Amino acid sequence: MSDEPTRDSDDNTPVAGEYVLGVLGAAERRAFEARMARDPQLRAEVEYWERRLGVLASEVKPIDPPPRVWANIEAAIAPSSGRGGLWQNLPFWRWATAGAVALAAACLLALLYVVRAPAPNSPLIAKLEASGGQASFVATIDPRDAGLTIVPASVAPVSERALELWLIAPGEKPQSLGLIEAGRAVHIALPARLIGGIAAQATLAVSLEPPGGSPTGQPTGPVIASGKLTNL
Amino acid sequence: MYVMNGPAGSTVSIEHDAARKQLVAALARIAGGDRDALRLLYRDTSAKLFAVCLRILHDEGEVEDVLQDVYTTVWRRAGTFDPGRASAITWLVAIARNRSIDRLRSSANAARSRTLDEAADVRDDAPSALAQIESSDEHRRLMDCLSELEPRHAVAVRSAFLDGVTYEELAQRMNLPLGTMKSWIRRSLLRLRECLER
Repeated sequence: MSDEPTRDSDDNTPVAGEYVLGVLGAAERRAFEARMARDPQLRAEVEYWERRLGVLASEVKPIDPPPRVWANIEAAIAPSSGRGGLWQNLPFWRWATAGAVALAAACLLALLYVVRAPAPNSPLIAKLEASGGQASFVATIDPRDAGLTIVPASVAPVSERALELWLIAPGEKPQSLGLIEAGRAVHIALPARLIGGIAAQATLAVSLEPPGGSPTGQPTGPVIASGKLTNL
Repeated sequence: MYVMNGPAGSTVSIEHDAARKQLVAALARIAGGDRDALRLLYRDTSAKLFAVCLRILHDEGEVEDVLQDVYTTVWRRAGTFDPGRASAITWLVAIARNRSIDRLRSSANAARSRTLDEAADVRDDAPSALAQIESSDEHRRLMDCLSELEPRHAVAVRSAFLDGVTYEELAQRMNLPLGTMKSWIRRSLLRLRECLER
């Protein structure tokens, strides 16, 4: 199709403006978002148009939503709701993990491929991305010794709050893997009870927690990065 | 209530500034897991977001779902909000519009039948009196630049943004060939950018 957005940056088409305006179809939107996740310049363009065109929203006369909307939101974020918070966050996972997993995979492939060829217990890798699509952490798991190594790529220092790492197996609640650090690589020996849940398709996520980690055993703060484990 | 409510004149920008700062502060607290802050943010912004989403989706039930999705997303992602890159309301409107547009696209059949119903329905949204009162400097700036476009092009840009419709639907509504609509919008975006950066 001649209007493919991937070509547009070459011919001066303001595709970021088209995206923000909302005139692109579903497939074009996904394609553009994938590009944007890898291209900070494109992201900046989108922010430009969101800022410029967003003021049109001031022309829409506010309408109060029914009270049940807030009641539902409150229930969804309640700490006691066992399946609440992170696990209900499927759209976020999909969104946050889209894009550049391949880049990190390529980097670590070079490193780990020499260790052994893919086998039933081949190493797993996850690139944990922040909302902007930039890499925040890269994690590898070697199932042979149940060791996980997580390396920060670009994490702003978080004062007074702890970074907690979570494993989410499909259909399961998040399991804490412990606290990690923004400034250095951390090696974690995985508890035996978790080994079974570790496989491709499981997700690793990092949330901001009070010092010492989540008091509830489930993520309580925002998720700053997440990514799916894939086999090398 | 919305951050831009207030009497005309300089009071608006003072209140406006204070309201903006309040939203940014609320987002920072939300990032730290403060549920009360989310409640305040919801109180101050939900009527605006509800209306923006309703304009796109035309279905209150769907908009309720979207709104719930938007604020639970805000709850989880407030830590990624960067006040240096966007105002809080810009960020919220962007999330709400993106969710609404994606939902509109995913219910493509419903959208098609609606397009037929509304084939002639491109509202010429001259800013309302309310909007004039609410008008911020940024809004006036955009209005000035929109007014430099061909009037029908400006209508198309405005309608695209507010209704969240595809090029195809927009062309149908305005009874134009698809290619013409694309070139109108693209040219308008380029000219808007030129004007806004002047």
